[in-house]
Amino acid sequence: MDRVLTFVNSDRAYVRWGTVLLALLAGGLLWEVVGLQFNQAIMAPLIGDGVDHPGTLPRLGRYLFDDPEYLLSLLQSIQLFATGFGLALLIALPFGIILARLVMLRVALESYILMLYVTPMIALIPFILSILGFDFWPKVLVVYLFAFFPILYNTLEGARSVKPEMLEVAKSFRSSEFAIWTDILIPYTLPFALTGIRQAAGRALVGMVAAEFFLSTSGLGEELQTASRNFDMAGVLATILVITGLGISFMKIAGVFEQKYSAWRGLDR
Amino acid sequence: MSAEAEADGQSSRIEINGVGKRYGDLQVFKDINLEFREREIVTIVGPSGCGKTTLLRCIDGLLPVNEGEIRIEGDVITQPREGVSMVFQHFGLFPWKTVRQNVGYGLKLAGAPRAEIAEKVPYYVDLVGLKGFEDAYPYQLSGGMQQRCGLARALTMEPSVLLMDEPFAAVDAQTREILQFELLKIWRMRPMTMVFVTHSIEEAVLMGDRVVVLKGRPSSVFEVIDVDLPAPRDRSTLAHPRFTEIREHVWTTLMDEVRAAEYELN
Repeated sequence: MDRVLTFVNSDRAYVRWGTVLLALLAGGLLWEVVGLQFNQAIMAPLIGDGVDHPGTLPRLGRYLFDDPEYLLSLLQSIQLFATGFGLALLIALPFGIILARLVMLRVALESYILMLYVTPMIALIPFILSILGFDFWPKVLVVYLFAFFPILYNTLEGARSVKPEMLEVAKSFRSSEFAIWTDILIPYTLPFALTGIRQAAGRALVGMVAAEFFLSTSGLGEELQTASRNFDMAGVLATILVITGLGISFMKIAGVFEQKYSAWRGLDR
Repeated sequence: MSAEAEADGQSSRIEINGVGKRYGDLQVFKDINLEFREREIVTIVGPSGCGKTTLLRCIDGLLPVNEGEIRIEGDVITQPREGVSMVFQHFGLFPWKTVRQNVGYGLKLAGAPRAEIAEKVPYYVDLVGLKGFEDAYPYQLSGGMQQRCGLARALTMEPSVLLMDEPFAAVDAQTREILQFELLKIWRMRPMTMVFVTHSIEEAVLMGDRVVVLKGRPSSVFEVIDVDLPAPRDRSTLAHPRFTEIREHVWTTLMDEVRAAEYELN
């Protein structure tokens, strides 16, 4: 029993990666078996037989390497995501710190921020549609709204928790407000903000697909809709994999920054 | 930088005239009148809660006074003044900055040229005994070394007034003793006006040319004691009969109050 426990809880790299690989293989196998049981209009297997059961991975390969139109859709989606998410970053980060510095402004806006933080943004889409219409920018607004509040909320909470002792030191050394930002507020808040940014990346992805679905169809949302309308489940699943891949990439990138800028945090007493 | 040049360092006179401080209805201290001379170390002791740290923050200009005024070199203090540096009990180092960056913090804020920072920072890092740790982060240092860094940050400004806010209270006893004597040594190389707040009577008598005893509720200056102990102060000072005498005197003075406060609670 002990030996089993020791093995199961081993932290050796080959055991770890072996486990991950096995888990992925098992999941893939399950997918394949289930997929082969169903009609291709209901469910597609992972690899498939290429005749009655077209596979998801072959379709993914064709999409990415042999379908310029699909790549254009992908780029369209990325552009939408990047614009909305970038704007959210650009506005939410400084705004969060400003709110932490100006108590009255924070008190005035706090209840709105909390309300909007918990509101499912998808519920606002009908308004955006009726007020702003079908252009590129209404879609950007949707992505922006999905991403903005997690970043703002986490940045604000982070900046608020700056230790008063640090601000006291800054005052004693006659720091300017600008230097307080660069020396203290920004480095202190960054790890908190990055937690929000990681959350926001996931949400913005939902916003991206929702916008491409419910406003003027475009990008990956449109690909998803078209495939679905044609009962092409291999196409649907392949596009879902693409979106999953995007999500994981954004998370990983945010994770790298988080590691880099929060090295001091876990070790600080 | 030669030793003689440093001995000519600036030093300032501090006047505290009828100063009082309130937090809402709570009067912390009142009617404090003190004068700190140039190149003098004045220690301030008092029971906890007597406002000695608050008084120090008022001298630094971190907190406003409610009555009276504090003057340094004749200027009324309303905000932190150039030439006045403070060492904090909580160290106040920035965890994302290295020792070098923490020590150079004040100079950078003051807009000192790069060459000056590059010259002074290593000098003071070395002076406080942190050579070799320039690129370490605060969490990699012991409490004592962190406070050495805090001290270097203050000294790098080459202040005429050094304010010490229970600087060694968060440091273990052995390190504390070492730091006390090193601080005295550094002060002899470059004497400035030093106001040193502590809750340790022993430390107050050892470090101070004069000891200010705060007492009462609200507190005020109960006694100012001239510490006529031979210079330089070092470990042998601790064994000096006069040291024991003064220490016991301060102790008795303060204990009356501590006891009274205890009975008050019962």
